Amino acid sequence: MWKHPGALLILSLLAFVVLCCSCLSPPGKPRLTSCRSPEKETFTCWWEPGSDGGLPTNFSLFYRKENSDTVFECPDYHTAGKNSCFFSKNDTSIWVNYNITVVATNALGSNFSDPVDVDVVYIVQPHTPENLTVVLEGEENPFLVVRWEPPRMADTRSGWITLIYQLRVKLEEEEEWEEHFAGQQKQFNIFSLHSGEVYMVQVRCKPDHGFWSEWSTTAYVKVPDYISKDRSIWILITVFSGFFFLVFIWTMHINRNSVKHFLLPPVPGPKIKGFDTQLLKSGKSEEIFSALVIQGFPPPSYYDDLLVEYLEVYDNKEQVLMLDRKGLQDSRFKSKSSSDSDSGRGSCDSHTLLMEKCGEPKENQTMISQVKAGETIREPMMKNDSSTPESANMKTKTWPTLCSSCHHEQNLCYHSIPEMPIQCDVPSNHFSSTHPQDYWEQPAGIYHKKTPSGYRHTQAYSEFNIRGINIKEATFPPSKSMEYVEVQHVNQENTLILKPIRQEVPDLFHTECAGLDYSKVNRVVSDSVLLLQQDMSDQCFSDYQDREIPVQSGTQHQSGKPPDHLQVSGAPETSLNLNGYVDTAAMLY
Amino acid sequence: MNKAQGSVWLLLWFGRGMLGYPLECRAAADAGRRCASIPLDKLLERVVQHAELIYRLSEESCTLFEEMFIPLTMRAQQIRGGNTCSTRTFAIPGSKSEVQQISDKWLLHTVLILIQSWIEPLFSLQATLDRYDNAPEVLLNKTKWMSSKLVSLEQGVTVLIRKMLGEGTVTTESHQSWTVAAWESADMMESITRDYALLSCFKKDAHKVETFLKLLRCRKTGSLSCLPI
Repeated sequence: MWKHPGALLILSLLAFVVLCCSCLSPPGKPRLTSCRSPEKETFTCWWEPGSDGGLPTNFSLFYRKENSDTVFECPDYHTAGKNSCFFSKNDTSIWVNYNITVVATNALGSNFSDPVDVDVVYIVQPHTPENLTVVLEGEENPFLVVRWEPPRMADTRSGWITLIYQLRVKLEEEEEWEEHFAGQQKQFNIFSLHSGEVYMVQVRCKPDHGFWSEWSTTAYVKVPDYISKDRSIWILITVFSGFFFLVFIWTMHINRNSVKHFLLPPVPGPKIKGFDTQLLKSGKSEEIFSALVIQGFPPPSYYDDLLVEYLEVYDNKEQVLMLDRKGLQDSRFKSKSSSDSDSGRGSCDSHTLLMEKCGEPKENQTMISQVKAGETIREPMMKNDSSTPESANMKTKTWPTLCSSCHHEQNLCYHSIPEMPIQCDVPSNHFSSTHPQDYWEQPAGIYHKKTPSGYRHTQAYSEFNIRGINIKEATFPPSKSMEYVEVQHVNQENTLILKPIRQEVPDLFHTECAGLDYSKVNRVVSDSVLLLQQDMSDQCFSDYQDREIPVQSGTQHQSGKPPDHLQVSGAPETSLNLNGYVDTAAMLY
Repeated sequence: MNKAQGSVWLLLWFGRGMLGYPLECRAAADAGRRCASIPLDKLLERVVQHAELIYRLSEESCTLFEEMFIPLTMRAQQIRGGNTCSTRTFAIPGSKSEVQQISDKWLLHTVLILIQSWIEPLFSLQATLDRYDNAPEVLLNKTKWMSSKLVSLEQGVTVLIRKMLGEGTVTTESHQSWTVAAWESADMMESITRDYALLSCFKKDAHKVETFLKLLRCRKTGSLSCLPI
């Protein structure tokens, strides 16, 4: 149905076209496209026609020279092809402006193009260079020699036209051309070739003022395989450097330890004199710390002065003095180091000498036993063998809690730990320690000082090896000095008449029951005799009686005593305390 | 003013000659002494280089001026004007064949005339360009350089004439058509048009000079550029 209108439309269109085609009209306006001169002697102009107009059209070119109004027509329409005009040498004048116009003419009319002014000098575009040759030269480092000739028509010989050249090179498979400017020369060298590749070369030229020509035809050349000098040198360098590198690595490998030490220096370890890390690893702290202990420190020179001499007096009747001591000690002395006899032994008493003397009857002998400081007091544990270990154990147990700071003191005192537990059987019968009033309690301060000395006994059980270190013997003197008693004689009743050697601490008395250094006075006999009791009980005696007389002088001569016992009886005075200590001060006053 | 300038130029030219321009020994002054002079081929080489430079400068100046001052519509018209360039008393050959028929003497003389006729117009052109408000510095520099080079070229050609032809100096009057006293009264457009014409014509003449000298060079010496291969 709609085909009808379509068909109608088409028919109408066709009719219109036919009519239009039959419409004749003058030709369209032609246009001069370009004029070119290849050698500055002749030139050619081309034009393009406009619309046809339906009729055959004639084209004609007219020109006019500068400074002349004469109009000439194109001399040659055919030489240069269609729609062109060729001006021969005779018709060409340089340095003259040409005014050129093209006219299109058909039956109906004509049409003029726009005029164009041309000076031949400025429209020179030569032909391409000719005879392009490419030759490979050079044996080791080959290079290309490119030669060419100027276009045939260009008269460069007379200098009429001077041409400059340009060439371009590329590998066959490449895309980009590499351009080189050759100037006015007609030869060119190309270096740095890739071996085994095919090269393409082209060349073109241009007058010193003008247009570039077209590129010439391509010349191909194949470069043979070769190893360039550069490459061989590089190979040599690589080989040598590889060799040196290997040598270097080998040297490093040989000396890897020193290299390692150089690069990563080891962390310095501790350097404490006497400190052995191996011991640390073994885990025995005793050895380590013992290694740290300096042998000669402190210098022992002046300790010799402080050596205290001790006398240990035992009563063989009684049990182990030690046990007494134990009883005597108050709670303060938790360590039951009652191995101390009451004879004013300060701190580090008990020494081996004591043990030697344990079994001797002491008759008429001055029992000045010199106790060297630092010797262990081995209490005549005697009977309490069984208790000894106990005590020892107890001591050892209790000791650490008591006196952690007393290491040094303790070390001082106790030399021979293994020698310790020797029991002496003290014939207590022989010993009747008539303690003169010199046996006094020490003043509190000193007493306190003495306490560590008591510990020293226990320290005998410590694991520390005593090596004669007399560290704190300085503390000794105040605490210890006073316990010396000298036996003057033994009276007929086997009573020791004691006489104090020193009287350093005369007047201060402790009412406390220090235990270690004190003996209990049983009673006073005949006013001048103190009967000392060796008490088994834990408490001190409290039966102190007044004994005015000889106490003051400090020397007591005992006379007439009952056997064994010295008993002090009497009204207790204020100074007498329950502990049973003799307070001679009270007696004095 | 112009006469004064012309005389100044002449004076300068003479002065330069007096100052011992090293191109040539003055035979009169140094009759007794031998002096070294530049050989002919070198001289021709230098002259040709000068001419090439001048032409290049003139081309660039013309282009600059055209871009700066001349609207597009006018450019074609200007050339269409036709005989804008100078009229000469003698005809200059228009083709290669004609030129090749010309003798050396004629060539040299023609070159000299051409050069000398353009010295003063270029000088006045500089003054005119300075008057413009927005004349680019490059243009001014180029025209100045052109002038100086032209003067040098003239000296060289003179020496060449003396050497080749054995003649004395020849002076010609300057290009009258360009030394118009009515520069000042011209309006802007006229002035621009005139300057553009001046530059274009100078460019053409510079090319002539260059071509003639190159021909002469190839005639006289076996220069590399003249060889076919």
